[in-house]
Amino acid sequence: MTAALDTAPVLVRMHEVGKDYPQVARPSDRLRAMARLLRNAPHRDPITVLDGVSLEIRPGESLGVIGENGAGKSTLLKILSGVLAPTRGTVHVGASIGALLELGAGFNPELSGRDNIEMAGPLMGFSARELAARMDEIVEFADIGRWIEEPVKHYSSGMVVRLGFALVAARRPQLLITDEVLAVGDEAFQRKCIRWIEEYLAGGGTLMLVSHSMFHVQKLCRRALWLDHGRQRGYGEVYEVTQQYLAFQERRIAAQEETATVTRSGQEFEVRDLALNGATQQTALSIEAGSALELRIDVRSRDGRIPALAIGIVRADGTAVYGFTSTMDAALPHRLDTDTWQFLVRFDALPLLPGGYLARAHAMDSEELRLFDTMERGFAVRGSTRELGMVRLSHEWLTGA
Amino acid sequence: MTLRVSTQEVALLRHFTVRALRQRFEGTLTGLGWAVAQPLVMLAVYSLMFVTVLQARLPPAVDLAFVPFLAVGLWPWTAFAESLVQGTTSIQDNAALLSKVALPRAVLVLSRVAAAFALHGLGFLLILMALAAFGQPLKWQGVPLALGIFALMGIAAAGLALALAAIQVFVRDLAQVTGQLLTAWFFLTPIFYAREMLPARFQPLLDANPMTAFVEALRWSLFGVGTPSMGWLALLWFPLAALAIGAFVFRRLSRHFEDFL
Repeated sequence: MTAALDTAPVLVRMHEVGKDYPQVARPSDRLRAMARLLRNAPHRDPITVLDGVSLEIRPGESLGVIGENGAGKSTLLKILSGVLAPTRGTVHVGASIGALLELGAGFNPELSGRDNIEMAGPLMGFSARELAARMDEIVEFADIGRWIEEPVKHYSSGMVVRLGFALVAARRPQLLITDEVLAVGDEAFQRKCIRWIEEYLAGGGTLMLVSHSMFHVQKLCRRALWLDHGRQRGYGEVYEVTQQYLAFQERRIAAQEETATVTRSGQEFEVRDLALNGATQQTALSIEAGSALELRIDVRSRDGRIPALAIGIVRADGTAVYGFTSTMDAALPHRLDTDTWQFLVRFDALPLLPGGYLARAHAMDSEELRLFDTMERGFAVRGSTRELGMVRLSHEWLTGA
Repeated sequence: MTLRVSTQEVALLRHFTVRALRQRFEGTLTGLGWAVAQPLVMLAVYSLMFVTVLQARLPPAVDLAFVPFLAVGLWPWTAFAESLVQGTTSIQDNAALLSKVALPRAVLVLSRVAAAFALHGLGFLLILMALAAFGQPLKWQGVPLALGIFALMGIAAAGLALALAAIQVFVRDLAQVTGQLLTAWFFLTPIFYAREMLPARFQPLLDANPMTAFVEALRWSLFGVGTPSMGWLALLWFPLAALAIGAFVFRRLSRHFEDFL
């Protein structure tokens, strides 16, 4: 599959694309900016909104673009659709592009729907003959009845979208660009649109989707691009990138909330080390969903008493998933030297769903009365499932096979 | 702006020109009928005003009645001036469209110029027919030449409009200034008066204004008044220079329109 794709001609190739905006606070700045542009000089003190973005889209290969608001997603789409010129880098587009971004943008409010279809033809790249042949199909798809003969200014926003979508659908572009899956129009029409998009994809169409919904991105796209402050943070297989993104977001939210953790109070017991599957380095461990996770915790006991241990698994945003203590299970550490004790605990077939998580170890006195020291380490769970939530609950369907 | 023009660009130019013309007449009852009626009504008003009321006379050196003299300069000038006024704001007016749809931007400017020249060109032809019908002798073999001069005027207007439209995106005051400057330019061009009506020492100054050549060449081709001079080289250099400047400015600035609109 991938081998076949790699040899296919590239529909879109972007190389190290960047976009700067000039700072124009006062009208005189505009005049100065114009003078610079006429001399072919770059903007002074530009604001960089996109930098170093490279991507390739091959036929039939759908790409999801994810990132927070202001990450440069719409700037990227505008550059791709040719509305914006990039400041740096090269853009090659070898396909007809249909954008479901601004449906009805080119409509003239004074003209009737039918006249607008005729007028929009050249904008959409239709020849007069093609358009005449497709007219009935477009009118039927839009399905707005006698309104088609009324001026567009009397249309509801839903009707404008219907007409706009009908035009794009009739065009059958090689690359379809869309924002959040259409949130306008009535439900019946939305279903019609989504059905059309699915048929389009099944028929070998190529999609570029910008969405905040990882569910939609994972459902419709095979590859994903993660933009963060105008830079490319991740690009590749969709599950890999969306999970990196989710883990990053969770960590960021957790950092903002800064949960009050008890640390080194008294230091009668101190967590010296926490290793996940033998790894103690700062870079987060990444494991496959459903594989085993082994925790090794070294605790120093100041006066030689046997410590107890609490272990917590939390999501990167701090949501508790599971917690237990060594005394619950009557588990004991083994002694490494005079004042250091080691706990080993293993999860077979960890049922966590893909995402970012933290393992926390808390040292306690053997009576489990006081919490002394805490150490945590992040790890990521990889996988390509579309299940939702944090944990796989084993289940069985009692109906059908 | 490359000189290669794709079929899509031609289709878009036609699309926007038709759209500009339609916008002007839609909602009006008579539609295109108004486009026909307006020049004829204006011609009637001018002849009443200048001939009957003001009793305007041309100097004996110009062997022509006042109304045909005026009409032949006024209609092309109207097309020229209207192109510049409407062309100046053409990019700004379409900001919403440009931020959403990728299209060759020059088309938006050129379509307004084309619409103005199509409309007033039609008016111009109607005027000529009306004048002939009222007994004004006309060099019919000069009509193709006159249309050629009219077309050169269109090229000049296109070049200037491209530059003005691009600059208007950056400097919003331009649209106000364009109207004022055009009024001044109108009176500096011998449309309402003949070169011979100026004091002799000012007459050569008229040749510094390239539009003089267009108006005088039109009168010469249609009525045989005046004599060709070196100043008429403006018929060639002015459209070429305007187009070169317009294309340069537009090409440099158009990539950045979105940042400033």
